Amino acid sequence: MIHTGHESMIVRRSAALVIPLVQLFGLYVLFFGQYGPGGGFVGGVMLAASLIAGILVFGPDGQPAATAKKLLKTDGLGLLIFAGVGGLCLIGGGAFLNYSSMQLPGLDDPTRRYLGIVLTQIGVAADIAVAAVSIVFSLYSASSNEVSDG
Amino acid sequence: MTYHLPALVFLVPFVTAIGLPLIALRDERRCRPVALAALSVMAALSLMSLGSVLNQGEIRYAFSGWAPPVGIEWVADEIASIMVVAASLLALVSLLYSSPFPTQTLQGRSVPYYSILLLLVSGLSGVIYAGDLFNIFVFLEIVALSAYSLVAVPGGRALVSAFRYLIMGALGASFYLLGVAYFYSATGTLNIADLAQRTPGLLESKAVIGGLLFMFIGLGIKMALMPLHAWLPDAYTDAPDTASPILAALLTKVALLVWVRILFWVIGSGDSEQPVVVFSLVWVLGALASVSGVILALSHTDLKRIFAYGGIAHVGLVLIGVGQGSHTGLTAGLFYIINDAVMQCALFLLAGVLVHQYKARTLDDLKSVNIRSSWVGGAFVVVALSMIGLPPTGGFFGKWYIVLSAVENRNYFALVAIIVTTLLTLAYFARVLERMFRSAPKSPQVPDTPLSFRASVAALAAAIMGLGLWSDHIVSVLLEATRGLGR
Repeated sequence: MIHTGHESMIVRRSAALVIPLVQLFGLYVLFFGQYGPGGGFVGGVMLAASLIAGILVFGPDGQPAATAKKLLKTDGLGLLIFAGVGGLCLIGGGAFLNYSSMQLPGLDDPTRRYLGIVLTQIGVAADIAVAAVSIVFSLYSASSNEVSDG
Repeated sequence: MTYHLPALVFLVPFVTAIGLPLIALRDERRCRPVALAALSVMAALSLMSLGSVLNQGEIRYAFSGWAPPVGIEWVADEIASIMVVAASLLALVSLLYSSPFPTQTLQGRSVPYYSILLLLVSGLSGVIYAGDLFNIFVFLEIVALSAYSLVAVPGGRALVSAFRYLIMGALGASFYLLGVAYFYSATGTLNIADLAQRTPGLLESKAVIGGLLFMFIGLGIKMALMPLHAWLPDAYTDAPDTASPILAALLTKVALLVWVRILFWVIGSGDSEQPVVVFSLVWVLGALASVSGVILALSHTDLKRIFAYGGIAHVGLVLIGVGQGSHTGLTAGLFYIINDAVMQCALFLLAGVLVHQYKARTLDDLKSVNIRSSWVGGAFVVVALSMIGLPPTGGFFGKWYIVLSAVENRNYFALVAIIVTTLLTLAYFARVLERMFRSAPKSPQVPDTPLSFRASVAALAAAIMGLGLWSDHIVSVLLEATRGLGR
């Protein structure tokens, strides 16, 4: 599927321009999730989409592909953050993911809830992004296997 | 502390599954002990939760502190707690048993294998605990996705079986979700306790009837009800010998349990005409499934395939009991679900032992080996007695209560189906036992049965006997837990 990057100058330049913007907007959606539409899932998908666009344009040897490969190693980290926040709430004596009983000293109730939501959203976003990137890599390796078989 | 037990039972295997890639980053051999430890902790926690539920009443756990029906609710009543104890103990036994199998078959994939196994077990506990129909769907999908990938582990033929299972399972999940959507549009809630209050007035509604049928078809695929069973024999036969006991024990049983929950906890047996029609549909299909399941079991020679068809027949038996719509029938069905989980686990475990020790996969292979290990032979006899339904095993008492519920309803057609199933089960086990215990003149030397095989088959045989000997106690707990349900 992806053997080299895209050759067109226009595509490469505009990708270099658009990808950081997409990432920035992804982060905005991620952190804006408590106040408006958005949140971990959408933010994660946007971050992953920017990386996937980078892999498609700059090829498997480009910088985005290298970053994505490093990201793959953190598979499950997002869910661990999620479960960790939940576990902190459990330790604090509340129900799983009841942010107000999260065990962080020196914080009042609204701040705890705020932090709890942000942290779980970050966890969700990280996990979604890694999952989406790993789908692309598995499709890519499957198609390159076919080439070597043929 | 006791309030959090249901969540902890789920979280221990779940977090271990996610953390396993990190724990085993340096050394893949750490996977097995870590998974074993996680399942032991889970089993201990589930036993504690059962103890607290029996002593202090059910636990209703609200995630994030949001009260249901807005929040996500888990209900750990007596039935859910007993099922989770059964599931976690069976998972532990089947993981213990798999240790002598060579790890080379996993080809460096042991991290994903054990992760997925733990995810499967945590998903099972989620299905059992979940207190609303949508979360049941979510956890059913976690279970199903893990099961597809576990079936596909050996590669080759197994890939095809796993793909078929995936297609059928995805269809089943879609049907179930469609039914859930119908229920939601008719009642405005998915929480089981809420639904129980709203549906009785709505049983004439087309949306509820349609939703009920869609859910039945969807769960019917998941529980391998007879005309929808095609995925099961292939999937269980081709699944790795290490994973098939846990798959066979619990995949179909949790779908059955969900269907029982919907039948009795959501729509109840009520006084109106509609649920009666549903109940007759359930027991008629159950009768067909049980008879045709054993007939198909008779027509095969592959051991795992025979046992898989035996399992399909037993799903039918449970549905016969449940379909009577009576209190006795419900209790009988629930008790038989537990029995069948243990029996299926034991059968596939023994099939795995026969493959590992004697290279025997089919009836003909069995003819040319001598089963020298009294552990394996003895356990097989106990399981066979229980499958056929002879005292003092759990299978006998399970079947006894199902027969009782059919007789109470003067449902003689169901009674005939149960008797035919019993006789034909005897027939196919006679074929297996006859080949197993016939002495073969030139049998190859077989190494001693490893300790983990002996321990696990002995544990399961003891469990089957225990379910029989303490059946009175267990059934009285179940009767108490289902008080007021059914006619």
